[in-house]
Amino acid sequence: MNEGEHIIGGEKLSLLQQHRFLLLILGSVVIAILLTAVSLKLYASSGAAQLDLSRPGYEQVADKKAPSTVFEGFPTVGPINKQTLKEFQALYTKRADQATKVDSFGGDVMNDATLSIDAPTE
Amino acid sequence: MKRFLIMISIAVALVGSVGLGGVVFAQEQAPMTEAHIARIRANCNDTKSTLQQLHATDAGLRVNRGQIYESIATKLMAPLNGRLVLNRLDSEPFLNIADEYEQQLQAFRLQYQQYDEAMSATLRINCVNQPVAFYDSVVDTRTKRQLTHEATIKLHSIIEKYGLEVKNFSDKFETSKP
Repeated sequence: MNEGEHIIGGEKLSLLQQHRFLLLILGSVVIAILLTAVSLKLYASSGAAQLDLSRPGYEQVADKKAPSTVFEGFPTVGPINKQTLKEFQALYTKRADQATKVDSFGGDVMNDATLSIDAPTE
Repeated sequence: MKRFLIMISIAVALVGSVGLGGVVFAQEQAPMTEAHIARIRANCNDTKSTLQQLHATDAGLRVNRGQIYESIATKLMAPLNGRLVLNRLDSEPFLNIADEYEQQLQAFRLQYQQYDEAMSATLRINCVNQPVAFYDSVVDTRTKRQLTHEATIKLHSIIEKYGLEVKNFSDKFETSKP
């Protein structure tokens, strides 16, 4: 028997069989790297990244995030009558006002002049 | 040999057409003056700082607005539509508006994502070394921010439309069932 050869039950073990524990660890690491890459890809492509204010650079706005008060909404089950319709209208008007009162992503904040990158006038 | 020459000619023609396209595209944009480039370089740090602040503020706005927009769909429109169906009332106009709202909400999410990615790309550009690329990227980001703004305007109009439909339904309901 040569040095380094392993024989179990009279059969010579192949190189893969001899190093199966090392292969198991390497395989696990490769699978973990692949799954992490897929997760990061999904995190970026699904839009979840845009909602994550714990990212570096967003610390100051994370504190300004509106407190997540539980908005119960309108009950899913029940009759439809004058009273329930009035209740719905009151809830809806309040929420619609909250949604529409802010002019989001508008304004001239990205104008060349505002950013001081406009062409100088001669 | 003949086939080889034909293939070479096609390849040259393709490369030529792409190159020509590039030249035309470059000619469509007004060339930046040296003074303009110098101004971008000079204000590089201030501009980047302003953009970073805007990026962070917009991220907060996206989260807060997004929560409100989502709650309108899931906690108001969907429950009322469900109730109307269960009570065998005419729910079709409500279902159509809710569907339109859901589609517009998806468009808003995508539009904001594109804007966010464009802004991140702009902030990665070194405006001292690449002032022209930086300026072009700012223009692209501005366009995407404007499109995000337009998506919110459309959402607001659908919110108002649904509210109006509820009001009309309530008025009819009151007159039909005194």
